[in-house]
Amino acid sequence: MTFFLDLCLRLTVWFLLTADPSPINIGIGIVVCLLIPRSATLSYTASLRDWGEALWQSVVAIPQAYIEAVEIMVRPHRYEDLTRKDVPPRRTPGLVFLDIFVITFTPKTIVTRYHKRGWYEVHWIRRRKPQ
Amino acid sequence: MIDQLINIVSYGCIVVGLVFWLWGTWPLVGPRSVLYKLHTLSVADTLGSVAIVVGLLLKIPSEWPLLIMALIALAIWNTILGYVLAYCSTEEPND
Repeated sequence: MTFFLDLCLRLTVWFLLTADPSPINIGIGIVVCLLIPRSATLSYTASLRDWGEALWQSVVAIPQAYIEAVEIMVRPHRYEDLTRKDVPPRRTPGLVFLDIFVITFTPKTIVTRYHKRGWYEVHWIRRRKPQ
Repeated sequence: MIDQLINIVSYGCIVVGLVFWLWGTWPLVGPRSVLYKLHTLSVADTLGSVAIVVGLLLKIPSEWPLLIMALIALAIWNTILGYVLAYCSTEEPND
């Protein structure tokens, strides 16, 4: 599954960069995408459902990020806080990357560290003093 | 009529992006922590720039492949660079 998604991502980048839908370019793109080496640590065991959820969260994060940005601008967020967020079970490196991306993309939260023992360290800015 | 509407939305996106840029860059000279500045920078660099590129996308739709590429690159690079800077600015806990 990860192999297929990886190939789709590479082909997307290729077609966006070349902007040429001719059959020759499609052929060159597929060959180039297959020839570029893949990460040796990449895991292929992630399920389609996990990937679907993670990609959906990335899409939802876009409007959420703009809402949070306006909130920060309109109401001052004076307080800072550090929390832990549990990593869901059976997370592959690709899904961990997407998790970190989604958390850090929204302006109120930034991942400061990923602990392999099972949690993300998340830095928050808040309106009210944390309990 | 539709052209006018697209123009308004396009300039609106660009203006919103510029406001985000200015608002997010200003705290850099303030006394807050590095991590707080990274939060405001994600408003400026990522969301501001994305709004500007969306505005450009509406103005020059013929260049959509490069502009979509720019959107993806902006979102991924700025966000992950924010994570890297946050990682570098905090110490490894002892536990």
